[in-house]
Amino acid sequence: MDLIRFILDNGDSLIPQTLDHLQIVAVTMVISAATGLTLGIVASRSPRLGEGVLGVASTLLTIPSFALFSVLTTLFIALGLQIGDPPVIAGLVLYAQLPIIRNTRAGITAVSPSVLESARGMGMTNGQVLTRVELPLALPVILGGFRQATVMIVAIATVGAAVGSPNLGRPIVDTLQRSGSSLPILAGITGVAIIGIGADTLLGGVQRLLSRGRITPEHLP
Amino acid sequence: MITFTGVTKRYGDKVAVDNLDLTIRSGEAVMLVGPSGCGKTTTLKMINRLIEPTGGVIAIDGVDTATRDVTELRRSIGYVIQQVGLFPHLTVSDNVATVMKLVGWDRTRIRARVTELLELVGLPPAEFSHRLPGELSGGQQQRVGVARALAIDPLMLLMDEPFGAIDPITRDRLQDELLRLQRVVRKTIVFVTHDIDEAIKLGDRIALFSQNGRLAQFSTPAELLARPASKYVEEFLGGGRMVRRLSLVKLRDVPLANGDNGTADEVVPVDATLRDALDAVLRSRTGRVQVRDDEKVVGTVDADTIRRASQ
Repeated sequence: MDLIRFILDNGDSLIPQTLDHLQIVAVTMVISAATGLTLGIVASRSPRLGEGVLGVASTLLTIPSFALFSVLTTLFIALGLQIGDPPVIAGLVLYAQLPIIRNTRAGITAVSPSVLESARGMGMTNGQVLTRVELPLALPVILGGFRQATVMIVAIATVGAAVGSPNLGRPIVDTLQRSGSSLPILAGITGVAIIGIGADTLLGGVQRLLSRGRITPEHLP
Repeated sequence: MITFTGVTKRYGDKVAVDNLDLTIRSGEAVMLVGPSGCGKTTTLKMINRLIEPTGGVIAIDGVDTATRDVTELRRSIGYVIQQVGLFPHLTVSDNVATVMKLVGWDRTRIRARVTELLELVGLPPAEFSHRLPGELSGGQQQRVGVARALAIDPLMLLMDEPFGAIDPITRDRLQDELLRLQRVVRKTIVFVTHDIDEAIKLGDRIALFSQNGRLAQFSTPAELLARPASKYVEEFLGGGRMVRRLSLVKLRDVPLANGDNGTADEVVPVDATLRDALDAVLRSRTGRVQVRDDEKVVGTVDADTIRRASQ
């Protein structure tokens, strides 16, 4: 009850924070979709290339988020760029790569050799094989990676509040620094949870809709 | 016409196809037959350049395939493989329409052609066009595979063990349908199989390969059965050669004994095979069978006629 009252009373700050959070996630995921998909396609072309790209993406994920955001913020200041959300988005893009690259590669490499042979045999160029056969077939798996990345980004974005991003991490970080009532923390967590669950449900639905006849995560080894 | 001139394919030290000379005429069905690893599939895939030869020249109607744009070359040749390789996310219609879309046909033309092709391969469009490959039996999938290969009416069809993974009863039916189809479309067909009986049934000519990527014999099925060129060919053909050959030869094409002297007590049409004739001879009490072209008696046949015709 207290939490609901707190949320209703603090709409003035929570609503812009929620919008900022949504915006960070949206911008991050648009950029990450483009880069992750590209790198995933590259990673699917040869086992060695794949291991290399995945190795780098995995290493990025081991960097603590607070450290990464701080370094990037410092870098952005040095470069004279805007701080707050931008360095946080940059960091989140780096984190989002692994699930998207990994799933793109897994989905593409799971396309059956006989399907590829008949595609080439009927005169598709490499580009046509990619856009008409490999990517469409791998789509549910790729979306699965995008979905995992989104949920992860929704959560990690909160840490960005510590380097000045005015998102739903703000009430949490502020409270931790001031050690006051736990209600702002709960309010932030609630907002993040709703966004996370909402995004997961939405993308899961899209993924199921597109699964007919395609490769799904259950097909993967 | 497809001409192989001194074509060789090596993988490292291993020779897959060894100095192959082979001419496939337009409109004929040539079967590439042999044991696993004899180079028959390699030979087939060199035609549409899924495999590039190490040496020699493959020409289609006099044009070296190596000089042609590979995409354009492949689009001009239908390709059917054992695992079918249908696109699992596309409907039967969309699978058949793939190449038509690649070459930019308009929708009306595509729809009409897809309907025509599905009917040709015995899949009623109303029932099948919107199904996904996963909802079809193996035999139905391969029919779609054949329809897809015929999409833009290529002059040539390459078939790599197309019926190899299909149960014997369905396979037999698909073979009959291919024969029927071939009478309608008259494509140059190159067909790989390890099943000599399939080759005998479907081929105008058979190219029999030996283990080391060499051509052991290239001739018509009847010739192959009657006169195997080597011990290897004889062994590969297996037993009962002369009996199997009977169904390949028509009475029309063999010398018959002159008119009926009144002892014949069975009748066969002149379009029947020697096998049908032998069956009638075995049924008859006198051993003599009358041969008729419609109502007209054109001669008689007995065991001796059949024996002489087989040699």
